[in-house]
Amino acid sequence: MNIEATGIRRSLRVSGILLALALVVELISLLWGKPLAFLLFAFIGGALFLAGILLYLYSLVSSRE
Amino acid sequence: MHLPSPAALLYILLVVSAVLIAIIAFRPAITHSREGKMLAFVAFLILPVICMSWGASEHIDRSKQTAFCLSCHIMESHGKSLYVDDPSYLAAAHFQNHRIPVEEACYTCHTDYALYGGVVAKLGGLRHIYIQYLGTPPRPENIKLYSPYNNRECLFCHLGARSFESNPIHLAILDSLKSNQMSCMTSGCHDTVHNVGNLNQVKFWSPAQ
Repeated sequence: MNIEATGIRRSLRVSGILLALALVVELISLLWGKPLAFLLFAFIGGALFLAGILLYLYSLVSSRE
Repeated sequence: MHLPSPAALLYILLVVSAVLIAIIAFRPAITHSREGKMLAFVAFLILPVICMSWGASEHIDRSKQTAFCLSCHIMESHGKSLYVDDPSYLAAAHFQNHRIPVEEACYTCHTDYALYGGVVAKLGGLRHIYIQYLGTPPRPENIKLYSPYNNRECLFCHLGARSFESNPIHLAILDSLKSNQMSCMTSGCHDTVHNVGNLNQVKFWSPAQ
């Protein structure tokens, strides 16, 4: 396994954790159903989602396979 | 056959997506094959985008619900005012006679019937939250609109309606109403709206169901 592949795997793993957390935050916000839940969804969930997606796309473009 | 509600489908999709993402994240070797790469693309990009868009739509739909608005303690007396047993109470008369959708009563009257009315209403909601948690919330009886109520919201439904046009006063002042020179809630017209300061002096209507 070379260093590059290890880096891609790591970014894929971090991206996956961020996206899974975003979905969990979304689930909690939907179950909560209070006005603050929308802020939780929009700001915390949205930030995790964006970070996860961007890291995944970065791992795609940085891959030379 | 009983189909699950859209919200239940969304919950299922969220759980399935999170599990799929977790599997790929902790078994990245899956992505070595072409099929694995395609699966990762769906799990890491397509499914989260669908989940977040669907979630946003669900949140926006929920925020239109009367129960959502009344879930804030400060709005309890406004909710109570919808059950005042007095037809001169504008909000109560509209709510009790189903002139507005009961499930979206607050949103129906307190949104702008313009191109970005829904967006403006959502930004107003964020302002409510800001004032509630970071500002100084007023007492319920002192709550005021951020800007004077626009007659456009009333005329959206009433203009052209027989009950509205059969009143000669409405026709005589129609131009003033359209241009907001005179408010529908002018003293002597429809000036009793929520009046939450007087709720301890009125009777309440109880719906049969």
